[in-house]
Amino acid sequence: MLQIQNLSKDMGEFFLKNVTLDIEQGEYLVIIGPTGAGKTILLETIAGIYPPDSGTIILNGKDITHLPPKERNICVVYQDYMLFPHLTVEENIGFGLVLKKMPKDEIKKRVTDAAKLLSIDQLLHRYPDTLSGGEQQRAAIARAMVMDPVLLLLDEPLSALDGQTREMLRKELRRLHALYNITIVHVTHNFEEVFALADRVAVMNEGDIVQCGVPDEVFRKPNCSFIANFTSVENIFRGTCTSQEGASAIDVNGLTIISSTCKGNGEVYATVRPEDILLSREPVQSSARNSFKGTITDIVNNGMVIRVTIDTGIPFVSVLTRQGFDSMNLKEGEDIYLTFKASAVHVF
Amino acid sequence: MTTIIKNLQTSWLKYATIGISGLIAAFIVTLLALIVTRPTLEGLITSITSSEIHFAIMLSLSTALISTILCIVIGVPAAYALARYSFRGKNIVNALLDMPLALPPLVAGLGLLLFFGTTGFGMGLAEMGLEFVFTPLGIIVAQWFVNMPFMLRIMRSTFESINPRYEYVAKTLGCSDPQALWRVTLPMSANGLFAGSVITLAKGIGEFGAALLLAGAIQWKTETLPIALFLNMSCGNLNMAISAATILIIISITALYIFEKFGGSSRF
Repeated sequence: MLQIQNLSKDMGEFFLKNVTLDIEQGEYLVIIGPTGAGKTILLETIAGIYPPDSGTIILNGKDITHLPPKERNICVVYQDYMLFPHLTVEENIGFGLVLKKMPKDEIKKRVTDAAKLLSIDQLLHRYPDTLSGGEQQRAAIARAMVMDPVLLLLDEPLSALDGQTREMLRKELRRLHALYNITIVHVTHNFEEVFALADRVAVMNEGDIVQCGVPDEVFRKPNCSFIANFTSVENIFRGTCTSQEGASAIDVNGLTIISSTCKGNGEVYATVRPEDILLSREPVQSSARNSFKGTITDIVNNGMVIRVTIDTGIPFVSVLTRQGFDSMNLKEGEDIYLTFKASAVHVF
Repeated sequence: MTTIIKNLQTSWLKYATIGISGLIAAFIVTLLALIVTRPTLEGLITSITSSEIHFAIMLSLSTALISTILCIVIGVPAAYALARYSFRGKNIVNALLDMPLALPPLVAGLGLLLFFGTTGFGMGLAEMGLEFVFTPLGIIVAQWFVNMPFMLRIMRSTFESINPRYEYVAKTLGCSDPQALWRVTLPMSANGLFAGSVITLAKGIGEFGAALLLAGAIQWKTETLPIALFLNMSCGNLNMAISAATILIIISITALYIFEKFGGSSRF
């Protein structure tokens, strides 16, 4: 649907270097990378804000490399909303439709529909600076959605929001994507957004896309040390969740992990921080609800801490202090018990 | 008593600096009060309502209004370019555009006089009927030239304070470049534009040096309020001079008030 070929753009501090990327119709692509990786400039070049130094952008078979933004029908939503402060929410959402010279009653209808879709229809007469962050971002999304764009670009749309609002809006994005089958490219530095939203993830570093694929594959099998280090999300498991009286049981390859975060039934991701996993020679009697036996497959000395990988059918990583490691005298190939609390399991 | 002495000892710097600022404020009030209380109220009213002062007020207002519009029409696009685009020689252009700010108005006026009075371009304009030397048109040009940097600096900092991404969004929503400027950036700059206009207008009404050299001090022809003050002072007509000064004071105070109230965010 969108083919980006060898796209380069040098803007000094930020740059793109031979970026090649294919985006499928209806896909939710998340681009993740560290600050300064060139994520935003890639989005803005796709939107037509900057002409690229070289390379081509093909949208639905048409070369749009040098088309002005207004002829692309690609919309952008930024982290800081960028709602026009001198216009009401209604005028903001209808901004693009007015430029299209659409009849007034048609604009009114579409704006109201979009506002209802994002549950901000009570706020239409208000000015942006009287809205909360979450409301402003909903308005910004409505302003883009009302244009019926062929491609929606989201530049860290959830980064400025607090935890709860972020989660709600994340669900909203998933719902909108499912509802309209709209093609979305979403830039972030937040891993949860990758797992919660992405059909595919592209990892960006120093102006280039270093790996692109389904999230599981990219995080499990990073193709270079940059991704391994950058992602370094250990103990991520994909499994099926079933609710159990205030907790949930996640079945991961036959192993059942209990979590106190409840997410309802279905496919989920669960993570456990390595430092929350307790290792012991004998099974521990405690209130912790997760206890497994496994074999040590790898021990890495990082100086400050020792990382131990244990295979229990699925690989767990635990970290020990130097002192703790010495007193346990662990060796590769030995059997060991690992224990962690249900509250240490984060589900999303 | 002892606490006062103690306070003085511990924070003498605070009281000394506050004292200095208070003295300056008192001095300013004294000067203004001296001017407005000098003539009798009756004499002042007679002068203010005289037809010569009326002429000066109208000429000052109309020339300042036109020069302000000129500052907007020419200064705003230049300020936009300096805020948004990077180009070769931008620093030099920036410095040169600020130049009239540092130049004594008399020198600026002399330059303008030579330009319009002696060059082929200036004489050509005069032949076409655009006579700037010793005419009200000259007052407008002098005000425009001297006040342009104020408009430019205020608008430049205003544009710089607006994230260009507002324009990016507008463009993805269907705006051309000029439309994005017109529909988004300019309305968002309204406060700065207003503050800039007030300053330019007020300074235009009070403009003396550059206007004196280019347009001259001709009674009933190029007699703005400051020129009226100067001419009447020169021939000892104190009441007339002071009534012109009083009106200038009122205009200054009003402009300062409006600027502080609405232009608070624009600094230059």
